[in-house]
Amino acid sequence: MDIVVCIKRIPDTADVVGIDASKKDIEKDSLAFKINDWDDYALEAAVQLKEKQGGSITAVTVGPKEWDDILRRALAMGADKAIRVDQDMVTADCYAVAKVLDALIRDLSYNLVLFGAQSEDFGCSQLGVMVAEMLGIPHAALAVSLQVADGRIHVSRELEAGMLESYTIELPALLTIQTGINRPRYISLGGIKRAMSKELQVMSLSDLGLSLDTLAPMVRLEKLELPPRGKEAELISGSPEETADQLARILQNSGIF
Amino acid sequence: MALAEYKYKDILHRCFRCGYCKFPTNWIDVNNCPAYARFRMESYSCGGRLWLTRAWLNGEIDWTDHLAQIMYSCTACKNCEEKCPLRFNVDIVDMIRATKSEMVERGLIPSVVKEFLENIQRQGNPYGKARAKRGEWIGGTGIPQYEGQEFLYYVGCVGSYDTRAQETARTLGKVLIKAGLPFGVLGSEENCDGNEVNTLGEETLFEMLAEENIQKFRDLGVTKIVTLSPHSYNTMKNDYPRFDGSFEVRHYTQLLRDLITQGKLNFSGGLNARVTYHDPCFLGRWNGEYDTPRQILNSIPGIELIEMEKNKTGALCCGGGGGNFYTDFLAGSESSPARIRAREAYATGASILAVACPNCMTMLEDAVKAEGLEGELAVKDISEIVAEVCGLA
Repeated sequence: MDIVVCIKRIPDTADVVGIDASKKDIEKDSLAFKINDWDDYALEAAVQLKEKQGGSITAVTVGPKEWDDILRRALAMGADKAIRVDQDMVTADCYAVAKVLDALIRDLSYNLVLFGAQSEDFGCSQLGVMVAEMLGIPHAALAVSLQVADGRIHVSRELEAGMLESYTIELPALLTIQTGINRPRYISLGGIKRAMSKELQVMSLSDLGLSLDTLAPMVRLEKLELPPRGKEAELISGSPEETADQLARILQNSGIF
Repeated sequence: MALAEYKYKDILHRCFRCGYCKFPTNWIDVNNCPAYARFRMESYSCGGRLWLTRAWLNGEIDWTDHLAQIMYSCTACKNCEEKCPLRFNVDIVDMIRATKSEMVERGLIPSVVKEFLENIQRQGNPYGKARAKRGEWIGGTGIPQYEGQEFLYYVGCVGSYDTRAQETARTLGKVLIKAGLPFGVLGSEENCDGNEVNTLGEETLFEMLAEENIQKFRDLGVTKIVTLSPHSYNTMKNDYPRFDGSFEVRHYTQLLRDLITQGKLNFSGGLNARVTYHDPCFLGRWNGEYDTPRQILNSIPGIELIEMEKNKTGALCCGGGGGNFYTDFLAGSESSPARIRAREAYATGASILAVACPNCMTMLEDAVKAEGLEGELAVKDISEIVAEVCGLA
């Protein structure tokens, strides 16, 4: 079982978000960065499959040099090889990024492609399914369990209100992984250091036969803005008994109970 | 199995589970291992953990979430080391740390411990709050930034981010200003000291934090450090020299005692109160400092210092060590060590429970509330008591 896992690096805003002067990005100077949470679950799913079935894991991303840190982490987690397409596409649309990943993945050997179901920053949830369509392989989004048997993959995907939908899909296939499908392991700093000797390949758009001209976005980001402040919150003060009384009265008066 | 396998495998079996590791120094009960007090299962005592480690190393049991929780409920309080009658007793806390270290390397740690360590990797504090906000505790106090003054006042993660501990951090800063001490703080430039990271078994992350801190201190010309937390004091005094970081490190109580003796802090009044003092493990059992905090309290006119039955080498841990102030494996019960300790303090008849550690402060203040003792027993840091009698509060 050869698995390709697509991962993204996102800012850990830790409750500090500001919009920069371009109005198209957030201020990133003092932020820390990390692997997108959903992608961490996708990697763990790949590592668990490899532990059971053997095979290989290739972690891929599209981003500038700083993004090597999430690939090093993926290598420490159990990926055998990592590839970074050296192009900053943070503000590009999903379609443009999907075209890059399509060009990259179609030349790799794979049975299964995994994505996180969405990213913590833009949250579009489109990238994985677009890439599946471009590769011409079946897919399931929001996978909450998966098992491989007889060259097929059995997947449950999450619907509304706790409903699950189960599929058996022929391989090769693509899944987008929902959080909670597993418990991603801790990656120690020592583990990352030990994985430094693993292969991390850097490719350019031209290596993939692409150029920025061929990646014209279908959606353009006009501006980012913080949500307007809501009405001022009412702060209740007093002893626990008094505040509980006041809160009960407010809830009663608003018809909640 | 790095450390556990090569350093300790051959001595682990020498623990024959006499059970002394659970006793306080005065033998009055069997509940002085905080995790044993909470769960009352042999497996949660140090001896139990050593036997479980041995079984895990020998492949007799598999790793489970429960096994990891048993290891991580150890607060590294060193009560076991104090009581263990065997010759290898100086290593038994480190044996548990070695087991945790093995779990870290295999990625097999409880989710909340993972969160703790990843938050420190990214933001330099276990809470995952923004690094840029680390200096916000200073507020409008006028506590100066470090610019080559004689002392660096190192605050630590709890004092920098926990709302209650921030009050203590500010109060100590005001006391040091009043005493005319030349000092400064690092504010948002401060990073985690790594003491808890080390006790949680993340050795490489600890080394990185220690090396980065040492480099920063050197670049800034720091030679003397005064810490708010006994945890910072412990690691900077005992671990940093391993990384070539030798500074004159003092816990703030040691500095305050000297400032009082030298007449640099004059009490404008006294405090008519019965006070009991809770020994922080990283000041007491880890560093043998039992007298100085008591000397400060005894020097304040009006204070009657009453000891709890379990004190000094036999003090019960608040349950906050080894990252448990955040991971909270010992919470949720009348048998949580902090609640037992709050009851022990109340039983002395004291109206003030004095602490000298921001972790103990947060753990015990919550416990006093949970016990319904708010209004009867006030938890105060020694720096806050000193501030009060100096007319600063």
